[in-house]
Formats: sequence, C-alpha cells, structure tokens
Amino acid sequence: MKRLAILSLACCLVCFWGALALAITPEAQPKVITSASKNVVEIGLSYSGDKIFFFGVNPVSGSDVVIKLTAEKEEAVKLSVKGKVGPFWMSVKQYEVTGSPFIYKIHAIKPLDQIISKETAQDLELGYEAVRGKMKMELVRGKAAPEDEAIVWKGLLKIKEKANLYNIVEDPARLEISEGKLFKHYFRFPPAATEGRYQVESYCFLKGELVGYGKDIIEIKKVGLEHWFTQTSQKQPVFYGIMAVIIAVGAGLLVGVLFGKGGHH
Amino acid sequence: MDVYLPIAGMSINFFLILGIGGAVGFLSGLFGVGGGFLLTPLMMMIGIPPAVAAASDSNQIVAAASSGAFAHWRLGNVDFKMGLVILAGGIFGGTIGVQLVKILRAMGNFEFVMKVVYVLMLGLVGGAMFIESWRTIRRSKSASAEDTSAAPVTESSLTRIFNKLPLKMNFERSGLHTSAIFPFAIGTTVGIMAAILGVGGGFIMVPAMIYIIGMPTIAAIGTDLFQIVLTSANVTLQQAIVNHTVDLLLALILLSGSTIGAQFGAVAGKRLKGEQIRILLAIIVLALTVKMFFDLVLTPSDLVSLATSGGGH
Repeated sequence: MKRLAILSLACCLVCFWGALALAITPEAQPKVITSASKNVVEIGLSYSGDKIFFFGVNPVSGSDVVIKLTAEKEEAVKLSVKGKVGPFWMSVKQYEVTGSPFIYKIHAIKPLDQIISKETAQDLELGYEAVRGKMKMELVRGKAAPEDEAIVWKGLLKIKEKANLYNIVEDPARLEISEGKLFKHYFRFPPAATEGRYQVESYCFLKGELVGYGKDIIEIKKVGLEHWFTQTSQKQPVFYGIMAVIIAVGAGLLVGVLFGKGGHH
Repeated sequence: MDVYLPIAGMSINFFLILGIGGAVGFLSGLFGVGGGFLLTPLMMMIGIPPAVAAASDSNQIVAAASSGAFAHWRLGNVDFKMGLVILAGGIFGGTIGVQLVKILRAMGNFEFVMKVVYVLMLGLVGGAMFIESWRTIRRSKSASAEDTSAAPVTESSLTRIFNKLPLKMNFERSGLHTSAIFPFAIGTTVGIMAAILGVGGGFIMVPAMIYIIGMPTIAAIGTDLFQIVLTSANVTLQQAIVNHTVDLLLALILLSGSTIGAQFGAVAGKRLKGEQIRILLAIIVLALTVKMFFDLVLTPSDLVSLATSGGGH
C-alpha cells in the first residue's frame, strides 16, 4: 500500500514537471531590447491611422524574428450568419464570439511553420490557426450546425482583414535585419484601431526554440474635440442629445436666413 | 482630406460626406422628405456602423428639415394646423410602433420583416405615384398648357368618405374643410410605419397627404417638413440617451451639406410642376424598392456580418 502511494506521488510529480516543461514562458527568456518611434498615438480631428517604427536587438545572432501586434483588451463581437429561407436570404443565426483579439498582426522573417512547431505556435498564439483555436463562440439565436465554426471563423477573418486589423506578413523584406542582430520594421495602425493599449511582442527563435523575448506598449487615445465628444456622449448623454438638436436646428435656421437674404423666393 | 469620426470610430473623406449630405439635402428640400431612407443606406455603404448611421442621420434631418421648413414657411407653404394634428397622430403611432418593434424583435428576424415591409410599402407608394403623375403629365400635354403646380389633386373616393366623419376643422392654408380624425389617423399609421422602418416617414407622409387628405403638393411638402423637425428632434434625443450612437461630428458635416442642398431643393421645387416632382420622387422610391428586393433574393457576398446591435462603441 505504502509503495503504491509513493509510486502514484512520483507519477504526479513527473506529470507536473512535464507540464511545466511544456509551457513556454516568454518572460523567462533573455530580453530583446526594443524601442518604438513613439509610444503614444493621439487621435485628433484628422487622424487616419498611424505608422510606428520598431527597432530591436536580437540577443542571439542569426535567430529567426517574429513580431506580434495585439490589443490588451479582448473583445466580444456578435456575428450574424445568413441563410436561405425559401427565395429569401435572411440572417438565420447569431453567434457571440469571444477570445479573439481585436487586432492581430504578425511580421515574420519567413513562413511561421518553417520557424516553429505547431505546438509552440499554439502556445505563444502565433498564426491564424492559434487564434482560431482560442476563439470561443456561443449561439445566441438559431440552430447550430457542425460547419458553423468554419463559416464564422472565415467571416470574422474577412471582416478583420478588410478593416486592416488582421494580417500576417511572412517576408524578410518587411522585417529588415542588419548583420543578424539589429532588426527594424513598422506596424501600420489602421483608423479602425480605437482607443486603448496595444502590445508589440518580439520573439526570437533558434532552431524552433524561443531564445529571446521583448515587449512594447503603445497607447492610443483621443485628444481635444474627439475626446470631448466621446466623453460627453457617454457621460452626459442628455446634455449631448439636447446640444445635438439645438445645433442642428440652429444650423438649419441660419442657412435658411442666409439664403433668404440672398434673394431667393 | 480625412476626418476622424469620434463615435463611429473611423476616419473618412470629409468631402465624400459633405457631398452625400448635399445631394440628399437637395432631394429633401425638393420633395419634403427627410431623406433618412436614402441617407442611412448610403452611410452604411461607405462603412459607418448601422446604429451610428441611423442615429446621426436623425440628427442631421433635424437641420435639413428645419432649413427646408423655414424656406417653405417663407414661401407660405406650411399648414401649421394640419401639421400639429398629424404630429399628434405621429407621436401616438410612433409609441405603438416602438412597442411593435419590441415584440417583433423578441420573436426574432425583425430585420427581415422590416425589409419586406419596406419593399411592399415603397413599391406600392412608388408605383401608385408614378402611374398617377405619368397620367397627369400626359393629360396636361394633350390639354392646353395650364399651370397645375398649386392645384390639389382631384378628390378621391376615399377622401369623400372621410369627409363625412365628425370633428370637422377648417385648414385654411390647404383650402380644406375636413375631419381632424382623418389627418390624425394618417399621422398614426405613418408613425407606426416610421418606427418599424426606422425612418422619418416623409416618403409615406407626403403621398398620403396629397392623395388621401387631398392637400396641394407644395403645402403637403411644407407641412411635412414642419412635423419632421419635431419628430426627428425627439428621435435624436432618445438615441443619444439610450444608445449613445449620435455622432455629432458626422451629423455636423452632413448637415453643412444638406442644409445648403435643401435650400437649392426648395427653390428647384418652386420651379417644377407638382406632377414633375412626384414622378421624380416615384422613380427614386421605385429604384430603392428594386435594390431592396434584390438584397432579399440575391446571394449575399458575405454570409457573416457584424450584428447591427454591436455598432456605436
């Protein structure tokens, strides 16, 4: 009996160590020293997205570099799926999708499957398959079908790619590395990237093993009139609504008076 | 030149919005419709989230309609008495309509019902208007060149039946002595429709005032604009409080375009004959009906879309 207990305890320990060894903790890796051309992006009246340059020093010369841009917050989106009912197309079901990042961009020196194994990719959430694996969907309305997961994922990807919120570039030209050490690239933040904190993570792999990791935080915030409009509409909606109506009536009458004086009858 | 819209959360070309606002404003001044039924789909087409598009359009309709109403008031085309009676009906009907929407939503597929109602209503109104004005134009061509722009449409049998109802009132501007029950009932019906379709309802109201109440075209347009100002002001306020979806910046750009467009529209309306205005409106309404019908029947390019309720943040 005693022997059995010791044996099972040993088994548990082995499993525990095994599990620890499997999970990759990027923070434990040698730090990749990085720098961004700016860390704060201000949304003003003429904001139409921004381009930020990132620089980094590869800790192990010649290793493969992969850089990932994500938002700190996760989002929940409701997606409608259309189907044919008689001669008509109408939305037949609705899914609430959680666990998918709001923005997801990757720059890699070469195709991800040539740099890391599937398991590592899943662990570090690198590549669309990993994102898809993390996506959770809950049926809000309609009848579920086995092919729904694929349809919803494809639809979500299309919406995100159209807004330039998701993309993966596996091209050495997009990620310059001088003498195997200093790397330089830029991320384009599309106008759809709204207020919030974004993280840019740099991974260095040597023969599929993670050998370096670095992280930059970029903050996007509204300033001036944009900030005021957003805040007021959320925090003082009654005042905001009345103001919107008064401005509209005032503008309408003003133009009316101006044109009236212009001599039109 | 790009401008960032704070509530819609996107950047868009300034002149594109200004131009769309101007074009819709022109039509609004010409026909006396709020333009919501054109503007909301157009805004969605250029990528504005549906909820923000609808709410911000209501806001700009307040401006376009008050500018148009002012222009028509100066030209003496507003029948305030008639406008207030219809408005009372409109508010009553709107309240019923909102409840109906709530019930339909709970039953699911409200959007589909809305589109079917749209196609049926627009098809009916547009078709009837087209046939009637086409006949008038042909008749006036064969007869001598008589100015019919201010003349009321011939009394329909429906008008005569309603004329026998009690609560008679004198509407001097429209030159009518008819029952108040009748404009109130039309206001109510249009109010219900407007709530279900999510539009100002001018495109139903104006034909109803012309063909059923028997008002002169130009007075119907002026009076309709007057009641639209008050109805859409109410909707704007409700949207701002309940859904936070009014993008004031978007509305400001739209209204800069539309208020100026509406002035030109009102002047152009004065130059055109009643039946010419009606046939133009009929063509636009029919074109929209055909588009909506194809939306329902053709295979959509994207099977998956963001649910409309998600917009605005």
